[in-house]
Order: sequence, then C-alpha cells, then structure tokens
Amino acid sequence: MATKVKVTDLHKSYGDNEVLKGINLEVQENEVVVMIGPSGSGKSTFLRTLNKLEEPTAGSIAIDGIDLTAKETNLNKVRENIGMVFQHFNLFPHLTVLENVTLAPVELGKLTKDEANELGRQLLAQVGLADKADAKPTQLSGGQKQRVAIARALAMKPSIMLFDEPTSALDPEMVGEVLKVMRDLAEDGMTMIVVTHEMGFAKQVADRVVFFADGYIREEGTPDAVFNNPQDPRAQDFLNKVLNV
Amino acid sequence: MMKKHTWLKFGTLIVTMLLGLVVFSATNVHADKKEPHYVITTDTTYAPFEFQAQNGQYVGIDMDMLRAIAKREHFTYKLVPIAFNSGAQGVLSGQFDAIIAGMTITPERQQVYDFGTPYYKTGIIAAASPKSGITSLNQLRGKTVALKTGTGSAQYALSIQKKYGFKVTYFNDSNTMYNAVALGNAAVAFEDDPVMKYAIKNGIKLKIITKPANAGQYGFAVKKGQNQELLAKFNAGYAAIKKDGTYDKIVAKYLGAKESTFAGSAKENNSLIGLLKQNKDQFIGGIIKTLQLTVFGIIFATIFGVLIGVLAVVPNKFAYGLSSTIIYIFRGLPLLVLAFFIYIGLPSLTGTKIPAIAAGLITLTLNEGAYIAAFVAGGLKSVDVGQMEAARSLGLPYRKAMLKVIMPQGIKLMIPSFVNQFIITLKDTSILSAIGIIELTQTGTVIISRNSQGFRVWFLVAMMYLIMITLLTFLAKWADKKFGNN
Repeated sequence: MATKVKVTDLHKSYGDNEVLKGINLEVQENEVVVMIGPSGSGKSTFLRTLNKLEEPTAGSIAIDGIDLTAKETNLNKVRENIGMVFQHFNLFPHLTVLENVTLAPVELGKLTKDEANELGRQLLAQVGLADKADAKPTQLSGGQKQRVAIARALAMKPSIMLFDEPTSALDPEMVGEVLKVMRDLAEDGMTMIVVTHEMGFAKQVADRVVFFADGYIREEGTPDAVFNNPQDPRAQDFLNKVLNV
Repeated sequence: MMKKHTWLKFGTLIVTMLLGLVVFSATNVHADKKEPHYVITTDTTYAPFEFQAQNGQYVGIDMDMLRAIAKREHFTYKLVPIAFNSGAQGVLSGQFDAIIAGMTITPERQQVYDFGTPYYKTGIIAAASPKSGITSLNQLRGKTVALKTGTGSAQYALSIQKKYGFKVTYFNDSNTMYNAVALGNAAVAFEDDPVMKYAIKNGIKLKIITKPANAGQYGFAVKKGQNQELLAKFNAGYAAIKKDGTYDKIVAKYLGAKESTFAGSAKENNSLIGLLKQNKDQFIGGIIKTLQLTVFGIIFATIFGVLIGVLAVVPNKFAYGLSSTIIYIFRGLPLLVLAFFIYIGLPSLTGTKIPAIAAGLITLTLNEGAYIAAFVAGGLKSVDVGQMEAARSLGLPYRKAMLKVIMPQGIKLMIPSFVNQFIITLKDTSILSAIGIIELTQTGTVIISRNSQGFRVWFLVAMMYLIMITLLTFLAKWADKKFGNN
C-alpha cells in the first residue's frame, strides 16, 4: 500500500496563538482516518492545511509524494486530487445541483459538458439525489445539500477525500443519510480523513482513530484501542464524557 | 501561488487603452489640410459678440469677424465655445491656440497673453432691475452684486468694492447672471456696455444705472510668445476688413438688428411647443450628446469600476493598495474639478490637447468608476468566504473561482447599486457642460442666451432629463428581471 499523506512536524500559528504544535501523521491508500477531540483542539485547522486552505507555519506536507510546502508545486493540480466536504456545505447558490457538480470538471477541461452531465447524474444517483439535478441548493434540506457537496467533490475523481465535520450543521434525523454515503465511499476503497463528533461512525468505519488535544495528537490507534483502552489522560477524559451520556 | 498577476496585467492593459484613446483622439483633431488649422475658443453666451443662432451655428460680431479673417488669410479653425474663464485658462495651458470672446485688453492680461489689434471699444457698466429701485452705486452697501468669473467687469467691480461696500457672487455665463439680478437675487450686475445694451434690447429686464467706466478695448489673444503666426494673420485680416467696410457691416448687422432676428418671434418664445419646434435640432443634438456621454460613460466606468473593485479583494497587498488609492482619489474629487483638471490642467503638463468629449468620458470613467469600484469591492467581500474555499478546494484557480463562483453572486447583490449609479451618471453628464460639451444642459444655456426664455427652456430641459431617466430606469428593471434573478 502506498503512502497517500505524509505530514512531518507541522506547526500553525495565528500570531502568538499556536494551534498546531508539531503534528506527524501518515495515511495509507484506502485507509479511513477519523480525527476526534474537543473543540479548538486543532483538528479542523489540521485538515484544512492538507489542501492548503490554511498555510502551515512550519513543517511539511506530502500528498502522493508531492511536497505541498514547496514553492514550485502547482497547488491547483494537487487540489484536483483532494476532495473536500465542509461543515456548512458551501454549495454554489447561483447554480443548479447538477451545475454545482459539473462546474469544476468542465471549467478545468477534464470533461466535456455532456460527459460532465452524465457523470454528474451518475454521482447524484450514487448519493440518492437523481431527482434533484435541476433544483437549486436553496430548495434542498441540509442532508441533501451535504450529499450534493460530496457528489461535487467526487466529480473531480479525487483519490483522497477530506471531511470537515460534515454532519455538525445537520438536524439529527439527517445525519444518517450523510454518514451512509460516507460509509459507502469507504467501502469502495476511498482514502478518507474525517473530522467528526460521530463516535458511532468512527467505531464502525475508521481504520484508525486519531485523538487531538491542545494542538497535539495525543492518542492514535484502531477504534477498539482508542475507544476501549485509551492511554492518554486527556483522551480518557474526553471519551468518558462523549461516550457515557 | 495564485494567478493574481493576471489581474494586474489586465488592469494595466485597460489603463493603457484609456490613455491610447486620449492620444488617438487628440492627434485626430488635426485635419490633413494644407491650410494651417487652429483651435480657437470663445464664450458660450456673450451676445452680440458670440452666441448660438437658431440653426445651431455660432454667430455674433466676434464670430463673423473671425470667419471673414480666416477666409481672407487662408487658415481654418475649430471653434470651441466654453465658459469664458475656462477658455481663457485653456489658452494658457495650450489646450486652445487663441481666444476671441469680447476679451478686454488689460495690463494684467498682457503679461500672459499677446493681444491683436484692439477691435472694439468698451466700458463697464452696472445694470439693475427697474423694480429694485436701485439707481446709483451708492445704494449697494451691504447688498450682493453679480459678477461673471474671470472677466474685466468682475475685476473692475472688485476694485470699487471697498468704496461701495457690497458683497459679490459669481456666475459662469452672462445670462444666468442677468437673470439673478432680474429675479432680485443680486442687486446689480457689472457687464461690458455693448453686451448689456444688446441683452436689454433683446428682452432682459434690466436698466443700466452707470456711465461706462474703465473704458477699454477688446482684443484677440494668444498665449504670450505662442502662435505669433496666427496673431499676425489676425491683425492683417482685421486691417483688411476694417478698410473695405466688412467690419462695419458686421457690427451694424448685430447692433442694428431687431430682437426677433436672432431670438425668435415672441409668439414662438411664449409657448413651450413653439420653443420646442424652434429649437428642435439643438435639443435633439443635446440629447444625443447626453446619451452618448451616458452610454459610453457607463460602459467605461463599469469596466474600470469592476476591475478596480476586484483588485480590492484579490489577496495581494499591492493590488489592494492601488485599488483603495484610486477609489479614495477619484471618489473624493468633485466631478467638476476632475473635469477641469483633465481638460485644462493635464494639457498644460503634457502639451497634448484633449478633446472635450474625451476629457468628459475620462472624467465620468474615473469618477463614476470609483463609486462602482467601491460597491463592487463591497459586494464581492460580502460573498461568504466558504464559497471561495469550496471553489479552490475543487482545484479551480483563483481567477476562475472569482469569475464563475464569486462574481455571479456578488454582482447580483450589486444590481440595485448599478442602477443607481447609472442614473447618477446620466445626471452628472450635465456637469460636463462646464468644459464646453454641448450636451443637454449646455444646449439649454445656449438657447436661453439667445432668447432669454429662462423658465420655459429650463422646464423643457428638466422634462427631457426626467424622460431619459425614466427610460433608463425601465431598461435597468427589465435587465434586472432578465439577468438578475435566474
């Protein structure tokens, strides 16, 4: 198995406030890594440095062996290969659902309009929204929006998908439909890095769980190891609170 | 990193194109004729020396004289009627080669101008409304006196201001000044004797209350040391037409003329329809000029404004600084000052003449463009940052993300501001009358200088503006419906 992501001693500061204090992480092909931890622990910031929506202060990030921090790296090319799903969906409200999905492949010359439309409808069917192709994002529920956002990211045929709290902004009854799509993706072998508070999802789908606190990775291992036998006191405390409600 | 340089390059391109337009239209003025060609300025309203006849042509003693001399001395000229003060400055800045505008020869002026042979004796008088009961300058203490900017009469009035203790107010054209006095907004106006007499004869309700003072002579003027060849031709031509009686005929033609010869019949002047019919061609010409300025002004200002507005949001400190400086300067300058600066100020720096219409369009582009840039920047900034992040995370380069994702959303927010700005642009074109563009407002001024029908003509002009603005608003609403909400 090839190494998809290799992060070495990554730091990120906003002024005097250091939010990432030296992160090391490797993710292998087809692996599903779920990142958990308290709010403000740095897990979302970390995820956003992986496609350089956040500029790291120090350290290196390699995606498929390409160094993102190197000046000569074409960031747009690398991003084509990394899909991202946001907490607040960030669908393009002026476009239809299908246009949201087809915009990037058509604009970047990956597919013709017709090919993109065909792929778009196929992806919408895959996330269970074949009938919403011509709707506007404002006509959709939160869960539907997030599924469109996933289809939009998949349209660039990425080999890695980043999920930044994809269900945190959803009504509880809509969480399941989004998690199901993610689970299907994982079963199809997609390399995924997921920041979430859905512990059930982490237990069932993750190959590895990473626990963040105070800008460090405090604990990492299989779901079984992390959930049932955490070593770090911060991890024990956190899991105790979220699992025993 | 991101392709922000493309934006800078594009910006440079547009600025170059604008400058190119200026240079191109400036060089275009010189017609390819064998005879020497000059640009000569005159006042817009100074009957009987210069005023626009009913057919739209400029006539008057100065005009007929110039025409006769040019023919005799074999030169051609382009006449630019503009407010006297601007014209006089324009000669000094090199914008115009010469001025003939009932300009009194004074020692001060002789320091910066070279005058031709004096051609008309004049003196300065004060005129009051008969209703005011003012019959002597001694009654002026504490009252306001109307003066025309930059004229010898104004200078004379200031020299006796202390003695009589009056306050002063300034106007840019004679007719507005007369009306201010006739309506009681000012006590008296100081004006050149022949001009005042002619205006009174043609229906201005004023009475001359003093004897001509500070007797002087009118002269044709060029900038000191410049255009000596033209000056020599003028003098030679003047001597010839004086000798053969042409000059006397011209003077007699205007001073002996009845009111209706130039002003139109009383019957026509007393009805809106009559005025409209009589001045149909001029009104149409004025409307066309106003619409041209508006349409091209809007197009250029929109291109310029969107560009500068986008520069304000690209992640580049230099672009942001450039954009905010441009917005700060051109939004901060009054349109009129900007117009004067470009039309009269710049040529004295660069030595290149700028046609009034080009100067007007550049003025509108910069001023209205700065306002557009400000709300474009605001509109783009108000689009959620998540939109840019989502677009970039898909691999779209900055420029594509801007064009396909941010701008369509931002522009929709800006549509009401655009409509508003377009209406303001239409109205602002009237300010460009000050640099001599005969658009609708200037057309009104010029017609009134001939027929003195202030109320009726301004009423007609106001209606025409309202109709144009109504049409523009309808057009904008239609465009909003069509492109805005789908």
